[in-house]
Amino acid sequence: MAIKLLLEKAHVQGIRTYEVYRREGGYTALEKALKEMSPEAIVEELKKSGMRGRGGAGFPTGMKWSFIAKPEGVPRHLVCNADESEPGTFKDRYLMEFLPHLLIEGLIISSFALGSNATYIYIRGEYAWIPDILEEAIRDAKAAGFLGKNILGTGFDCEIYVQRGAGAYICGEETALIESLEGKRGNPRIKPPFPAIKGVWDRPTVVNNVETLAALVPIIKMGGEEYAKIGIGRSTGTKLISACGNLNKPGVYEIDMTISVEEFIYSDEYCGGIPNGKRLKACIPGGSSVPILPANLLLKTAKGETRYMNYESLSDGGFASGSMMGSGGFIVLDEDQCVVKHTLTLARFYRHESCGQCSPCREGTGWMEKILKNIETGKGKMSDIDLLWDIQRRIEGNTICPLGDAAAWPVAAAIRHFRDEFEWHITNPQEAQIRNFGLAHYADPIHVPVTA
Amino acid sequence: MSEQQLFKVTIDNITIEVPAGTSILEAARKIGGEVAPPAMCFYSKLKGSGGKCRTCLVEVSKGSEKDPRPMPKLVASCRTTVMDGMEVKNITSPKVIDARAGVVEFLLLNHPLDCPICDQAGECHLQDLSYEHGKEGTRYEFQRRKFKKYDLGPYIQLHMTRCIMCFRCVYTADQLTENRVHGVLDRGDHAEIATFIEKSLDNDFIGNVIDVCPVGALTDKTFRFKNRVWFLKPMDAHRDCPKCSGKVTLWNRGEEVFRVTARKDEWGEVEDWICNECRFEKKHSSDWVIEGPREISRHSVISQGHYVHTVTPTETFKAVNDGRAPHLLLDIHTESDVNKPEIELSLINGPAHSNNFNSK
Repeated sequence: MAIKLLLEKAHVQGIRTYEVYRREGGYTALEKALKEMSPEAIVEELKKSGMRGRGGAGFPTGMKWSFIAKPEGVPRHLVCNADESEPGTFKDRYLMEFLPHLLIEGLIISSFALGSNATYIYIRGEYAWIPDILEEAIRDAKAAGFLGKNILGTGFDCEIYVQRGAGAYICGEETALIESLEGKRGNPRIKPPFPAIKGVWDRPTVVNNVETLAALVPIIKMGGEEYAKIGIGRSTGTKLISACGNLNKPGVYEIDMTISVEEFIYSDEYCGGIPNGKRLKACIPGGSSVPILPANLLLKTAKGETRYMNYESLSDGGFASGSMMGSGGFIVLDEDQCVVKHTLTLARFYRHESCGQCSPCREGTGWMEKILKNIETGKGKMSDIDLLWDIQRRIEGNTICPLGDAAAWPVAAAIRHFRDEFEWHITNPQEAQIRNFGLAHYADPIHVPVTA
Repeated sequence: MSEQQLFKVTIDNITIEVPAGTSILEAARKIGGEVAPPAMCFYSKLKGSGGKCRTCLVEVSKGSEKDPRPMPKLVASCRTTVMDGMEVKNITSPKVIDARAGVVEFLLLNHPLDCPICDQAGECHLQDLSYEHGKEGTRYEFQRRKFKKYDLGPYIQLHMTRCIMCFRCVYTADQLTENRVHGVLDRGDHAEIATFIEKSLDNDFIGNVIDVCPVGALTDKTFRFKNRVWFLKPMDAHRDCPKCSGKVTLWNRGEEVFRVTARKDEWGEVEDWICNECRFEKKHSSDWVIEGPREISRHSVISQGHYVHTVTPTETFKAVNDGRAPHLLLDIHTESDVNKPEIELSLINGPAHSNNFNSK
């Protein structure tokens, strides 16, 4: 049985309410943190835990917190990034919907550690029903004395505000989120200065993902060192994976990052395999922005080793033969899925969500979508594939924010691993309209060169 | 103790000392010539501008004396400040040349390329940029994005189809006028500069958006289709204006004043903002005190044949290439008596004749 830290109590009846959450041991981590620990000690525990940010980039959270500037007389802010808009990712929604108090508890501990008296939850507009859940949780926590003035007699004041976005993917980028929170157009800012120096209203700000902040609760409860023992290598603790696509049991799973990808897809404890006896063709292991992998490279690395569900193993081989953990949006494609169509869907998404601020992303994403649409509808040319490669190469790394990279990577990976499927679409335009390329050789064992 | 700390920065093998806080772009502009990266959205007089067009990307091959690691990505030189001992590669970096050609291609994707009927032609930054950094032809085979033309009040026309989304006009309205009524609507490749339901831009200083626009998206309605800029002769002039500095450039043909603009420096940026009255309503020579012809870069099409005060660009290639001069296949002056550098063609009255060169 896998270790569950976040979702342990998710199925307790009525856990959404304060009374049940408290009865089940809720807010004890908060009491421990505020009464027995100093803010520095909390940051130290977090550093010891080695937890990496759960939003996608995987930056060590303890390190990020230690960067925050502490000028005299300037308020600091903590912002919870609940603008979970990455296609395939829905773990934060689950957490907020079922365990709102877990997030609130984590938020108060984090606010205490960072010295934030006004903390914000920026939630995406499409999660229309969740702000009510969160606000109810905030109200109940406040009634119980865990929020407001002089919390637990420590002299620490904290308020949490929920701010709804208006439905833009780009507002999940931390500086665009800050702009939007300030009431402006959600355009990413040019860094530096980083939010840790100048964030919301030019004040030092930390922006963290929902899951990251919720994980503060188990870290404080069990201590950083104990937390670091879970998992493997630099992938410590547990991670929520939102599995979707062609799976028997899609949903949100908590894993301790020691299981293999194969076990995650096929075991009954997790996704339970692929429906109707179909075979696995490809998978995006970490949300739509990360590179897609064919079945053979997903289950085994290029060196022939088993691939595990953790930060290091998933990125083994770099972009040439690996992918990324990302935000944990695990999208599985079976043999009936068309990678060209799938790439077009993603390209359309990024074109729609580009903020239009910098030229490579604004113009390049639209261009890629049009070319992919041509290929998909049987009007493609062989030169289009190289053109796509050239466009994505010139977007990647040349933009203000990572959306340009996120738009370029899926296209690059699809061409890198599924080039023959693209070519088949171009050479057989009529056939491509009525049937799919199928599994082809994408699950064949990889030839591993043996060195004597 | 020195009041201002000086940082040593090397751009394309040329070292210069600049005050701390200077951006790479501004340091490069101090060196001048080809070393200065092109800038489509950055405007030194507008706070917060820059970083968007990505044409000024440069490679930082050495971060600073303290931290010599190179920066992992190309950086926007207009928004990156110099560090002591920083080494920057602009035209000496193949990565930069390639990325810049890519940006030019992206910028031209949806640009209508209607230069023959565009009033900005001849003083258009996008023309210069694509001429200097772009490639021939495009690989784009789709319908270009189109918008309707809008009249923003009596003086300004907005032709969004030509816009490259540099945000300069938005910053200008924000920082120069009291009440900004235009901004960016929508997002991505369908974003547009717009007012709220075609509301007119009505403000004493709003005419400056025409000057800051790098392309022909915002044009002067009192000048539209009146003349090509290279047939006009720019003259510096001033008047006593209660609202602005009154320092302008008149664009004449004969005695007639075709248009009035602010004075632009060698980077295409205005020196002083001017008010609408000076720009749109004072169109007689008698309104102005003429100071003399405006200096225009010899490379500009506007300078064709008009000028005594031509500015010869400094040769940067030699400095960049460690002192090696560009390889000349043929020095025209050793082969021919015509084209003598000491003879100023513009001083010759009427067409040049062989007699003009027979000084022997």
